[in-house]
Amino acid sequence: MSETKVKHADEIFKSFKMQSVSEFFKKNAAMLGYTGKLRSLTTLVHEGVTNSLDACEEARLFPDISVYITEIGPEHYRVIMEDNASGIPLDYIPHVFGKMLAGSKAHRNIQSRGQQGIGVSGAVMYSQVSTGKPTEVVTSTGDKVINKVSIKIDVEKNAGEILSRETLKNPEKWRGTRINLEAKNLQYNRSKYGPYSYLKMTAIANPHTRILFVEPDGTKILFDRNVREIPKHPKEMKPHPHGSSADDILSMIKNSSATRVRTFLVSDFTRVSSKKVEEIEQLSGLDLDINPKKVDWEYAEKLVNAIKQITFMAPPTEGLIPIGADSVRLGLEGILAPEFVHTVTRSPQTYQGGIAFIVEAGIAYGGGAGNNGLDIIRYANRTPLIFDQGGCCITEAAKSIEWKRYGVKDENAPLTIFVNLVSTHIPYTSAGKQAIATEEEIYNEIRFALMDAGRALSRYLSGKRRASEKLTKKKTLLRYVIETSNALGSLVKAEDNSKIIKALTDIVEKKYDFEEANNGEEVTTVSEENDVEEVIENGQ
Amino acid sequence: MANKSSQEVPSILGKFGEEIYEQIMKEESPSIKIPLRGKSNVFFDDNEKVIQLGDKFSKRHFLNVAHTKKFMQTVLVASYCRRLVEENKHAGIRELYYALKHTVEGSKENTFDDQAESNPIIEDIETALDILREELNLTADRRGYIYGDIVLKDGEDEFNASKLGRGGWAVPGTVEEIDFLNVNAEYILVIETAAMCDRLIEEKFAQANNALLVACQGQAPRGIRRLINRLHTEKNLPVYVFTDGDPYGWYIYSTIKQGSMNLAYLSRRLGVPDAKFIGMTMDDIEDYELQKVTEKLKDMDKKRINEIMEYEWFKHKDWQEQMKKCLKLGVRIEQQALANKSLEFVAKEYLPQKIENEVFLP
Repeated sequence: MSETKVKHADEIFKSFKMQSVSEFFKKNAAMLGYTGKLRSLTTLVHEGVTNSLDACEEARLFPDISVYITEIGPEHYRVIMEDNASGIPLDYIPHVFGKMLAGSKAHRNIQSRGQQGIGVSGAVMYSQVSTGKPTEVVTSTGDKVINKVSIKIDVEKNAGEILSRETLKNPEKWRGTRINLEAKNLQYNRSKYGPYSYLKMTAIANPHTRILFVEPDGTKILFDRNVREIPKHPKEMKPHPHGSSADDILSMIKNSSATRVRTFLVSDFTRVSSKKVEEIEQLSGLDLDINPKKVDWEYAEKLVNAIKQITFMAPPTEGLIPIGADSVRLGLEGILAPEFVHTVTRSPQTYQGGIAFIVEAGIAYGGGAGNNGLDIIRYANRTPLIFDQGGCCITEAAKSIEWKRYGVKDENAPLTIFVNLVSTHIPYTSAGKQAIATEEEIYNEIRFALMDAGRALSRYLSGKRRASEKLTKKKTLLRYVIETSNALGSLVKAEDNSKIIKALTDIVEKKYDFEEANNGEEVTTVSEENDVEEVIENGQ
Repeated sequence: MANKSSQEVPSILGKFGEEIYEQIMKEESPSIKIPLRGKSNVFFDDNEKVIQLGDKFSKRHFLNVAHTKKFMQTVLVASYCRRLVEENKHAGIRELYYALKHTVEGSKENTFDDQAESNPIIEDIETALDILREELNLTADRRGYIYGDIVLKDGEDEFNASKLGRGGWAVPGTVEEIDFLNVNAEYILVIETAAMCDRLIEEKFAQANNALLVACQGQAPRGIRRLINRLHTEKNLPVYVFTDGDPYGWYIYSTIKQGSMNLAYLSRRLGVPDAKFIGMTMDDIEDYELQKVTEKLKDMDKKRINEIMEYEWFKHKDWQEQMKKCLKLGVRIEQQALANKSLEFVAKEYLPQKIENEVFLP
């Protein structure tokens, strides 16, 4: 022991820092979505596409996104993703692509897509870790030049490092960003966990987007734009006191400029009036006039406990932007070309007493709907949830419904169930952010939405069944017309059987035309539709 | 129900067709009214002592998919029968089935799939228009025969039914045209099985007892029933029925006596309410010591006994006793079991004694 030189803490932490970013990445690869060959490829695409969608939304542009995947070796793929967003000024390129955990939305109480992964820099990192190669970024803000750079993440500095840079002329005034990276340990296929399914789901929930996808075998797929309206940008909302933990309060305090806890509570939370602060004060017995910076864990916990016992107004919901029932319908129709679609957007609700959410649901039946049977497609703030389907609140709610009661015959029915949960805070079951926890209020809302859509489906299916039954009946009747008319003709010695045929045909046609005119309502005459012939008692 | 001439029948059928024709031309939903047959529309007429048809009707609609095919079949059969009568031809009911069976134009479906579909349609027309099958020139397969001293005229032929050999004369499905020229008999004995009838012929039972023997060979066909009815009403001959001692034999008796539920509309023309039952009875087992030659009842037999016990015309206490006894003993007894005594026993002792002493069931 004595021979061993004792290391100074600085030395230990130097190496710790050296490794931190890449170690962090490797250790948390699974949490960040880079686990499994297929899932890693889907995550790469996801990070790029999400970045593009957000950028376009912020710039109020209709997204045109292209994704090219090519196989360049065993388990080795090139991924090119291009968008038409506002482009990235040269100075910000290292920041956007090179700094891990640099998301602009972290720690903000706002509905956002990017709750998964760590942003597009994660993709750069994965490429770098698996191949040692930099990522090529081509971008222009639509001015005179196009910047083409090779970027790597400097692990030590946790910053993007531009290895080479080229300035191209931009006579066409091209605007957008194109990322070109390669990575190993990947696999491509069309399963529901792959990029194809991910992009299809993205297109359904973002019907204002056009996505061109080229698969490794050269197949081109266009998920076209179905809505000519760019979604509203979500607003940042102050948190509601219910639903905030001691930890939340402490981190909020760090960003607060309030000088007293009293004012912090009123200004940094929603629905907290000075009258409510007095209640908190009485219940907690805390001194609310201290400087928030002095608040410790114990103090924060007492605060939370008091808050729990007080009723506040429900949180405002104007910050939540659902896709909208109409857009979901257009998305489902455009991408799945089903026979029938019904969509529902529920009104806002809260869970855990203070977190606002909205459930949107849709049912598509027939056509391209279903995936060899029931297909549940899940979204959180429009972002497809691909993995961990089994443990998700949406799956549980969808499966808890007895679809038979809504006219769905069996498990092989071509049915797609769409559910999007909109919230500033999605309660994921784990850091993987692929499954939503079963919060009772959310579970119930999903069920209500699906039952609502189910009723519409049931009406459609029974109408369809009726129509087909009616057609069969009409055909049956018409089949007997000639035979009956000829026999009748010979029984009454008619000169011309065709007169009877025509008259009887008219009677049949008229009956069914009349029914059609009556909106499919069956017009039943006495004793009709019974197998048993009508019984008449004499004298009645 | 008066006999209808061959002039009347075509016009009745034509009128039936014209009503449908009118409905169609007036753009009304075509329908046919047919008296309901079967258990729900029959009752036991206590005055006339026969099963009668009630007054319930069913309506057959062309526009009701469940009725359409039957509607078509009804018109087909009516049309075919009109032609038969007008052309003065006769057809068997199976011939009718084959004559009308073809593929419905523009489909893979047949007008009739089975004779079981055409037979009830014929009965529908009979009841709906009050015309007999015989009057429609339809004949059924002949079954059953008559043996005994009776001179019959059938068309051009005259013959004595005791001079045709041991086979007697096979009774046709239609006996309306038969004339009874000379009857030298005191009663009619109706026998369920041909084997028993053959036994009695061999034993010269008819000659010794002045009886007409009629073998119905199971459930009596319409020709046989009509013949018995006519001999009974026209020649005043009593009718005795001799069947196996089991629910099926007893039901054969009841059909001859009161008519059947299915042909309730014909009961007055076919039934013989005065008919008497001679045997076999459950009492015979004891009286003639036949315990050793009984057969065990099967579940199906017991079920049938319970069924017919409920029929109004079996409510007579003597019959109820027979059936209770049958269930209690759990056995049935066949006519031919009497051979256990001796071959001649039935002809020399059993039947003559019963008739002499009037040991009958009502």
